[in-house]
Amino acid sequence: MFEKLIQKLITLLFLNYISFCGFAQGPPITAETPIMLGLEGGGIRTFGKFISKENVNIYIQPIGIPYNITSKFQVGGIFPFKFISPKGAETTGGLSDICLFTKYQLFKKDGIAKTFRILATVKQSFPTGNTSSLPKIGSGIYQTYVGLIIGRISTEIGIYGDFGYNITSNGATDNFLYNFSVGIPLLPQKYPQKQINTFLEFNGNYIIDPKIHTLFISPGLQFIPGRRLLFETSFQIPIVQNNITTNKTKYMILFGTRFLIN
Amino acid sequence: MLALYKYKTILSFSILVFCTLFSTPVNAQTKLEQERVYIKIEIKGMACPFCAYGMEKELKKVAGVDHVEIELKKGLAYISTPIDQKPTKESLEKIIIDGGFTAGKIEFDDHPFIRDITIKGKSIQN
Repeated sequence: MFEKLIQKLITLLFLNYISFCGFAQGPPITAETPIMLGLEGGGIRTFGKFISKENVNIYIQPIGIPYNITSKFQVGGIFPFKFISPKGAETTGGLSDICLFTKYQLFKKDGIAKTFRILATVKQSFPTGNTSSLPKIGSGIYQTYVGLIIGRISTEIGIYGDFGYNITSNGATDNFLYNFSVGIPLLPQKYPQKQINTFLEFNGNYIIDPKIHTLFISPGLQFIPGRRLLFETSFQIPIVQNNITTNKTKYMILFGTRFLIN
Repeated sequence: MLALYKYKTILSFSILVFCTLFSTPVNAQTKLEQERVYIKIEIKGMACPFCAYGMEKELKKVAGVDHVEIELKKGLAYISTPIDQKPTKESLEKIIIDGGFTAGKIEFDDHPFIRDITIKGKSIQN
């Protein structure tokens, strides 16, 4: 019953994306953007993510602060607060693993009201989260992610993709991460304006050893009330969870905001 | 006959005074317009509202600019400055490149540029 409902929802979303004639859209919700400006430069991003699993509920509240050194080079930090509530046990929470990141623009092709860009990104996670608590808040390992961010953005549609390899320490298994996003605006184009944008996104994770593949489909909505403020929400549903026998993810919900401080 | 001549003279003089008096503000307006330079800037790659915000922020830093108007779909920005603070084409190109975009055609004019504005599906010129 639930699977049929999900299938219908996915079909409706695809039809919506195929049939819609759109205008200009904001940055993707769960994928990375290759444009290092506006809310992605000198701004703050935060979102609350609720993860519902079979045996546990997790709430993550990361705060991301990017800063543009030049128009081609960005640095930033992500400070995640994590709260874990196992079924029938007490909630534990606190600061999880801090991540520092850089983005560098490798390629840019600009046209009138359109752009195509490729960025390289490196993320370094530190084991700052508490690992003595049960359940653990941090991973207890260093992680280095090396990836590419690709995007073709026009005033009518935004197509984004990012993928990369995550190298772990202490004998933990490495993984390959990939995201894909299509964004379409629902309101006529005017600047400045109130905007409502829709996104259809896919978020994948392939763990090398043992071979575990997860893929989520994530329809999302974005509301931009003014020049410097953005609200967004996304609902992530698993469509692939290979080789996971226990504690499967049921769904994830994301509520977020981005705003400029300058 | 003499009375008619006097009447015509007075009428002509009155019209002249009237025209002189009322033409002064028009001349002042024209002078005010001529004191500013209007600039149309083509910005390639400006494809999202936050790109436009980033560019608006940078162009407002140009000396003498107090208002920036952006036509996102055409990739255009309009600014004006007092004529004695007229920026160079090179300085505007540098602002666009530093902002992460590609500079296109930059036009200077003594008068505001005519723009297409769409209201309820109808295109009008402004």
